[in-house]
Amino acid sequence: MDVDSYIDLMPIILLGVVFFISAIAMLYWSSKRGQLRNFDDQASTIFTEEEPEGEISDSFPSKY
Amino acid sequence: MDTAPQSNSQIANPYSSKDAAVRAELSEIDASIRSSALFFTVSAIFWLLAGTVFALITAYKAHEPAFMADGAWSTFGRMRSAHLNAMALGWGNNIIFAIGLWIMARLCRAPIRHGGMLTIAGIFWNVGLTIGIGGIIAGDITSVEWLEIPHYATPLLAISYALIGVWGIVAFKFRKGEHVYVSQWYILAALFWFPWLYVIAQVMIIWFPARGVVQSVTNWWFAHNVLGLWLTPMALATAYYLIPKVLGRPIYSYYLSVLGFWALAIFYNWAGVHHLIGGPIPVWLISAGIVASVMMVIPVIVVGLNHHMSVVGLHKEVWRSPTLRFTVFGAISYTLVSLIGSSMAVRSVNEITHFTDFTVGHAHHGVYAFFSMIMFGGVYYMMPRLLKREWPSATLIKLHFWGSAVGISVMLFALHVTGWIQGLEMNNPDISMLEVVQNSMPWLKARTVSGVLLSFAHVAFAVNFFWMLFAAGAVRAKQGPTLLDSSSKEGAA
Repeated sequence: MDVDSYIDLMPIILLGVVFFISAIAMLYWSSKRGQLRNFDDQASTIFTEEEPEGEISDSFPSKY
Repeated sequence: MDTAPQSNSQIANPYSSKDAAVRAELSEIDASIRSSALFFTVSAIFWLLAGTVFALITAYKAHEPAFMADGAWSTFGRMRSAHLNAMALGWGNNIIFAIGLWIMARLCRAPIRHGGMLTIAGIFWNVGLTIGIGGIIAGDITSVEWLEIPHYATPLLAISYALIGVWGIVAFKFRKGEHVYVSQWYILAALFWFPWLYVIAQVMIIWFPARGVVQSVTNWWFAHNVLGLWLTPMALATAYYLIPKVLGRPIYSYYLSVLGFWALAIFYNWAGVHHLIGGPIPVWLISAGIVASVMMVIPVIVVGLNHHMSVVGLHKEVWRSPTLRFTVFGAISYTLVSLIGSSMAVRSVNEITHFTDFTVGHAHHGVYAFFSMIMFGGVYYMMPRLLKREWPSATLIKLHFWGSAVGISVMLFALHVTGWIQGLEMNNPDISMLEVVQNSMPWLKARTVSGVLLSFAHVAFAVNFFWMLFAAGAVRAKQGPTLLDSSSKEGAA
């Protein structure tokens, strides 16, 4: 690959553009799938019956 | 066809369903990934110890160049690169594969499939890395920073990445429930980004090298994105999982967490070119990198605010928890290192910090104070759940924490101060290079002292880990969490 002109930087620039487009595409997908709604509900989805909301869980899980 | 999206609130959440047939127990998920996660964690700790030895040798040689100067294998360049690769690819990647994939499995709410694929990937990764670092020490090192591993070892690493990436996609595809938690976004994105970065960099620099400045642009596009699009998202994913999980309180603002993720995804990729400020590349390209670097203030403030507000009022619990003591230290460091990084991209600041130890300090701020501290927190949370037993010694955890926290603080102070002084002095034509080096000596010795503290911390961590892993009956029978508050009677050593 010669560096006779700045055209040779195009692969890098194109990679940046592809990254940018892929990020936008993922954002669009997440919007269509309802991932950007009801944020308060979504924040609680990591809690379970074994490790419920409202309980400090840095402890030995006794349910094992 | 009606494709109207279904609201998440309308979708049953199998993660907390009363129906056992719908809900996969966390313990079942933990059991399914136990072997792979343990393999990666054990490997990570071995590399952490090896990387620490390389680091001590390197730090000492910086002010005592005659130390271990008899053989080519122990020269500064090889030891320094062996340290970087052992820490970034040995400790960093193995612990990401352990904790990141464990969190991914838990959030996908299903026992993992094809666990053997992960183990094979782990074997490939560690064999490839051993050959690669052996090659560096033997003199086959490349001249490209962050890509020093010789070309004959990289195919093994690439195969390993491919297997882990495929596993991540499979895990995500067979997840239960529709919702994608923010940690999953970070992990999935990182699993997608890193192989891309690595393969492109290998092709354009090692296999079919571009000539001239294109190589440098590719080099820093890769190297900076390793930090920003691999280590950072994995650490943030871990923090976003651990902080609310341990405190039993949802993240302060899920909206902000999503905003932070997308801002990182959109801006970070452009930022690496700021490493070439002043170099012979198009000015507009550097300017684009500077703009992106400054725009990174948005996700950083968002994430920092979110983490801070999530622990407000629960600071005692944070201090008491081994997991959160490390994780919150790392989260605070993320805010600091990122804001310093954005300011370093500004031309007037970069004129001083470029080519100095300020950059070295900044790298350690990111990789250790931020990334590694959060990952230590992740290990303290994950291991009791994988092994169904508690940490044997709270004292060793405290030694680990204080050794790491004080050690890295001393290192950061020394390297930032000496870096700034070096920059000012090198910009002054009346000061000779010899004087610049002599003036750096006290600070470089302070860096070695900080390395000794970090070494003690890592040994304490390793001893506690293997004590837990090969626990005797007394440790197995221990009840209650290992907490760090002296008032606690629950299992505290």
